[in-house]
Amino acid sequence: MWFFVLFESMIFTAYFGVYLYHRGQHETAFLAAQSHLDLGLGVLDTIALLASSWAVARSVQAARSGRYDAARRDALLTAGFGGVFAVLKVVEWVHQVHAGNTFTSQEFFQFYFFLTAIHFIHLLIGFVVIGVLVRQLSGVERRNQETVETCATYWHTVDFLWVLIFALVYVVR
Amino acid sequence: MFSTLNKRLLVVWVVLSAITVAYLWIDHSADDNGAARASTAVTLSAILLALVKVRIIMREFMEVRDAPRRLCWLTDLWVALMAVGLIGMYLVGKAAA
Amino acid sequence: MRRPTWLDSPKRELWLAWGATVGFYNLYAVVFFLITRTQPPGQPSYGDAGVVSWFASHHDGLLVGMAFIFALGGLSSTSLALITYSIRRMSVSRAYAYAYLLVYAVAAIPGFLFICVAMTAGAMRPDRSPELQRWLYDLGFLSFSGTMGVFLIGSLVWMTAILLDKNRVFPKWFGYLNLCNALTEVVVAPAWFFDRGAFAWNGLVAWWINVFVFGIYTGVFITLLRSMIRREDFGTGPLPDLPPRKPRRSPENAVATAAS
Repeated sequence: MWFFVLFESMIFTAYFGVYLYHRGQHETAFLAAQSHLDLGLGVLDTIALLASSWAVARSVQAARSGRYDAARRDALLTAGFGGVFAVLKVVEWVHQVHAGNTFTSQEFFQFYFFLTAIHFIHLLIGFVVIGVLVRQLSGVERRNQETVETCATYWHTVDFLWVLIFALVYVVR
Repeated sequence: MFSTLNKRLLVVWVVLSAITVAYLWIDHSADDNGAARASTAVTLSAILLALVKVRIIMREFMEVRDAPRRLCWLTDLWVALMAVGLIGMYLVGKAAA
Repeated sequence: MRRPTWLDSPKRELWLAWGATVGFYNLYAVVFFLITRTQPPGQPSYGDAGVVSWFASHHDGLLVGMAFIFALGGLSSTSLALITYSIRRMSVSRAYAYAYLLVYAVAAIPGFLFICVAMTAGAMRPDRSPELQRWLYDLGFLSFSGTMGVFLIGSLVWMTAILLDKNRVFPKWFGYLNLCNALTEVVVAPAWFFDRGAFAWNGLVAWWINVFVFGIYTGVFITLLRSMIRREDFGTGPLPDLPPRKPRRSPENAVATAAS
């Protein structure tokens, strides 16, 4: 799993690098387009996803000490916070599209929609992963700490990639 | 033991969220009477803060703290590589503009 | 002179397929990058005149290179066959192998043969109206780049099989590399929208990063298929490990491990 974490973060670094390079070329256009984003919503998004990461980390701890019911509760909580993040994201997309900011309207929004969408695909896969985690924790004979930790590691990757996207898309000037 | 670890996770989450909220302040203080303007200082601090958060997530949430030392080095190397890549591309883009 | 032992080995058919796979990917790289120069792709923003001069300057290379593909492109089936074989060797359901085989057999048409047909049609009839040539040019590159999504499911099928497999045919990290590859295939889709910038069919995101990842992926799976063939015991249980080059353990231990 760590192979995935490292490889995938290098691919994202490459995407971010391309974005920052283009941004440097057309700074004023990017800034003007960026002002359409709501930073407050981005902060809320980030905190929701950080909370989901916290929940899955708790789940791993609980599973390690044999408290599987608590672990399962925390895994479901993870999916819940992830769901909050997903809903906020969709609301933001709908809002932007209604305001006329689409994938093809401006260069900044090309990158905004690309980065948020590719991250969203990772998030959707993450829900499948959490499903595997819950299933693992539910059956006595299926419990395997290594799989539990692998699932959690994937989810944390989704989280820290978002932390980077948030800083680069919403805050960078 | 169990509850201390849980408390630690909660503290980590609070710290991460606090850094996230700090972005609001950075953003606000960088405005020129409400109008956004380009700022290398904001860009660099945003990137570095994000990487600090990434490192905290790796260390605490992903438990690299207790992992073999090789993984500690490798993840730190990766965070450093990301910093070089991101800041480098930003500066190159600006210089080429 | 002694006959090389692999000629007598029951694995020679597998080695033949593996050799053909290596041959195919080398042919592919030489034809697309050097002879036809269709990779990296031409400018998506060309007007009629640009496309006509592109076809004119690539004319000879296109004819020679595509002739190779039309004659030998079928070799692409060997890597597919080996990968399907690898999935059949796993402890997972055969459905994974069939799904993989079908997805990639279909994907070869938009992802590989379409560009060859369109480019050859463009190069062979230079007297056609510039508009029609531009249409062929667009069709060629868009079909090639814009349809990468079909490989997404194929990669995910292989990934799932590897992660569920108990016969240790491939290391788990390679399963995750499949996921990385699948996710970079998706990002080529925006090529339909743009004729310039990072997301156009020759863009940094849609082409360069994707090809870089795909290159690593291809190199890795060819190497891993090689080690699978070396480890193959034609049984149904877990694939044995290769014997270590310098045995560190005592022979009894080694036997015990191999038997377990």
